[in-house]
Amino acid sequence: MTGTCPLPLLTLLLTLPVGTAALCLACRHRPAAARSLALAGTLAVLLIAIGCFVLLPAETGWLLRENYRWIPALGIQVSLGIDSLSLLMILLTAFLSVLAIGLSWNEDNRPTAYFALLLLVEAGVLGVFMALDLVLFYISWELMLIPLFFLIGIWGQRGGMAAAMKFFLFSLAGSLLMLLAIISLYVLHGQQSGDYSFALSALQNTVVPTGLEPWLFAAFALAFLIKVPLVPLHSWQADTYSAAPAACSLLLAGVLAKTGIYGLIRFALPLFPDTAQAALPLLAVLSLVSILYGGWIASAQRDLKRLVAYSSLAHLGFILLGLSAWTTTAVEGALLQMVNHGLTTAALFILIALIEKRAGTRQLEELGGLWGRAPKLSAMLLFFSLAALGLPGLNNFVGEILILLGTFSVQPLWAVLAAAGLLLAAIYMLRLLQSVIWGPAQDEKSWSDLVLSEWLLLVPLVLLVLWLGLHPETFLEPLRGSAQQLLNGAAPLSLSGGLP
Amino acid sequence: MTVTELIALLPLMILALGATALLLLARGSVGRSWPLVVGALVALCAALSALLLPPCLMEVGGMYAAGPYARFFIALWSLATAATLISSSAYLTRRQLPSGEYTALLLFAAAGMGLLSSAVSLSGIFLALEAFTLVFYVLIAFNKDCPLGAEAGLKYLVPGGVAAGLLAFGMALLYAASGSLQLPAATAALLSGAPMQSVALAGMALLLAAFAFKLSLAPFHFWTPDVYQGAPAPVTGLLASGSKGAVIAALLTLTATLPAAPAIFEPVLITLALLSMVVGTLCALAQSNVKRMLAYSSVVHMGFVLTGLLCWNHTGRTAALFYLVGYSVITLGIFAVITSFSADKEPQQLSDYRGLARRQPLRALALTVLLLALAGLPPTVGFMGKLAIFSAALSAGYPLLAIIGILVSVVSIYFYLQPVIQMYMPSSSSAEAVEGHAGEYTVIALCLVLTLAFGLFPGPLLELIARLTP
Repeated sequence: MTGTCPLPLLTLLLTLPVGTAALCLACRHRPAAARSLALAGTLAVLLIAIGCFVLLPAETGWLLRENYRWIPALGIQVSLGIDSLSLLMILLTAFLSVLAIGLSWNEDNRPTAYFALLLLVEAGVLGVFMALDLVLFYISWELMLIPLFFLIGIWGQRGGMAAAMKFFLFSLAGSLLMLLAIISLYVLHGQQSGDYSFALSALQNTVVPTGLEPWLFAAFALAFLIKVPLVPLHSWQADTYSAAPAACSLLLAGVLAKTGIYGLIRFALPLFPDTAQAALPLLAVLSLVSILYGGWIASAQRDLKRLVAYSSLAHLGFILLGLSAWTTTAVEGALLQMVNHGLTTAALFILIALIEKRAGTRQLEELGGLWGRAPKLSAMLLFFSLAALGLPGLNNFVGEILILLGTFSVQPLWAVLAAAGLLLAAIYMLRLLQSVIWGPAQDEKSWSDLVLSEWLLLVPLVLLVLWLGLHPETFLEPLRGSAQQLLNGAAPLSLSGGLP
Repeated sequence: MTVTELIALLPLMILALGATALLLLARGSVGRSWPLVVGALVALCAALSALLLPPCLMEVGGMYAAGPYARFFIALWSLATAATLISSSAYLTRRQLPSGEYTALLLFAAAGMGLLSSAVSLSGIFLALEAFTLVFYVLIAFNKDCPLGAEAGLKYLVPGGVAAGLLAFGMALLYAASGSLQLPAATAALLSGAPMQSVALAGMALLLAAFAFKLSLAPFHFWTPDVYQGAPAPVTGLLASGSKGAVIAALLTLTATLPAAPAIFEPVLITLALLSMVVGTLCALAQSNVKRMLAYSSVVHMGFVLTGLLCWNHTGRTAALFYLVGYSVITLGIFAVITSFSADKEPQQLSDYRGLARRQPLRALALTVLLLALAGLPPTVGFMGKLAIFSAALSAGYPLLAIIGILVSVVSIYFYLQPVIQMYMPSSSSAEAVEGHAGEYTVIALCLVLTLAFGLFPGPLLELIARLTP
């Protein structure tokens, strides 16, 4: 099935958002047209992604590959490819992008530029999930960053520019060091084989001197872990999430965090297998610290968005713990949890935006009595909070239990500590529910409950959360191959597609 | 002089003769823009003739080359001059400056820069360098009503004079050691084992110092911020791109004659490059004046170009030239935007840019993209240039330069984003909104398109430069 699709689907996935963004900018004086276009563009991407997911066989290895010449003088080509892991990530990205557009439907501050930038973020993320050439990957990696800087800075709340700058500098510090590591690999490989190329399949065969390998791995890991983020690198996260417009928080937590983990899986771990093995315990310790610290700090937050930001830190720690346990069960759980976390966090950010729209505040002490005013909204909040704290039958439970089981089989202590993180999750989530839903209302104003457009955002999420909770096999089965490949260290990269 | 030699020099003759003709014809040209248009056409003719005429001779009089390398640069600087001329019209009119003299001077400068880029002898380098430096003394202080301009002119004159002295003395020493002013022969005295090698090395040191002055490499950069600040914005654009670029082109010719860096100079060059990157970045961080910030940023960028040159191989030189072309395009674009924002006063302070994006969204967007390109973010030519330079540096075994270069790039994002942040601030500055001129829009759009096009498809340009580079 490798690359036999008659249409250049991957190129289409990449160019569709960019083209739609350009069209959006073109209708500057008709914002309504721009947002319809943006929605149509993201829906089209989602349709293609669903089509791929349904039609392509769930087999190990590349499902689609595309190669084009680009800059032969530097050995750079447009090399795209998806396996089941990247396909699932693309599906998540496409779905959350639709939600992001829907959530900002009533944006009235320069809406055309806003929607165009959102689409560019989507294009960048899709590029990250598909790129198999390191320069293309790096360019996509930066391309998702630049529009986000402007989205957070211009459309964010007070202090948005400062938060955007912090986010940008943090990310760039990591990614520029990664660029240096990429170039080093390129030069090493060129000197060893005479073939100067940035293709992942080529660079994977590079023999890196033992003294250099930890440094290169560290540069890659730093870039990826900043994006996730993991504990010592997280200080941009809460500021950025809380200052960003709702749609950006959704994308940042739902999708951008996954690009970091995906980068580890696709690039850092296979490129430097020996160092990666040595670094796994360190990664595990950092993950555990993230789980406990994130949970602890989340319990002390007064701002809803900051609370979810820190809870996100803890959940992402879980995913990385699963990776660093390096057993089949744990890695499968981690991969599945990437999807789960994307869905629940996105839902929580949507709900926070809906509550903020009604109450005008996100402070826990100023909220209360939601059940009396908007029972349906409260029910949704209850549902997704329970999903986030890992209630059996809902999605997060499946991933977390797999991660815990897999970790326990090799490092019981890690699993025990992580389970304490689950307890913390229960504490901060129940505290959130208690202050928002129950208690007395702060004022007498009556709020409108969920309207149709808001239901449209939430219902697909509810269905997916239930689906993943009750029948995770649909998504788990295609991930098994990816997990096995990662553990065997023999990624299917030897399958090099020829130039068309 | 034979006819073939004249034809070989035709692009430069067009520039020089055009300038002379304009000087004679365009008197009392205050407030008129036809001399600018004519000047731009002359420059375009020169560029076309440089690109299209087959190179019939490789050298003229043993002083100047007429091969593809020289022709490429003559075309490049002619185009840069044409762009500067086209974008200066409203700027000159608003300040009641005589456009005839301005045009003639810029064309002379273009001829000088083209001549310097094609020099293949020490005397050729000296003559050409002084030719356009003299023109720039006048151009920098062109606005007589602006005290800062006069100060800037003087500040350019004094180090310039010192540099000229160093240059002449260095050349004399090289000549004494080698007995020749022609390039491969003159630098042959630097090779180990040559008689009087130490004299030649001393001469080369003086030569390098003079070049470092012109390129404003740290620690020879002190004139740069004041001159950038005081000079008229369009002139600054050409000063930053063309005059430095022509010096780089000459330096490249000089380095290409040696198989490897003389052992004494390698650490010196590395120090110059490192210092330029670090000092330029740290000083730029502290600036609240955009033109001064750009001055320090040019110090950093010249450090990058020098990194490419000191790899001392074909890849490194190609990377340096590619970077130079990209940098010139971006810089011309940025100064065109600043020119077009200039009312009676140039917008220099960061606060002058506050809220500009609301009133002038297109030019603000252009400036944003160009500044991000200067910072080296993809998908612009700035990124591709950095990629080329860093790969050359790493493969030539200079990891320290690459690491410092990367760290400096991270820090530099901060100051490149400052004007951008100001422009997208919601509140507006009190400065009046300035309508753009069609010429300015053309130049800005061209630079923007080239910045993105060379960033997305650098292949053809890279291959062209690789073929030209000696």
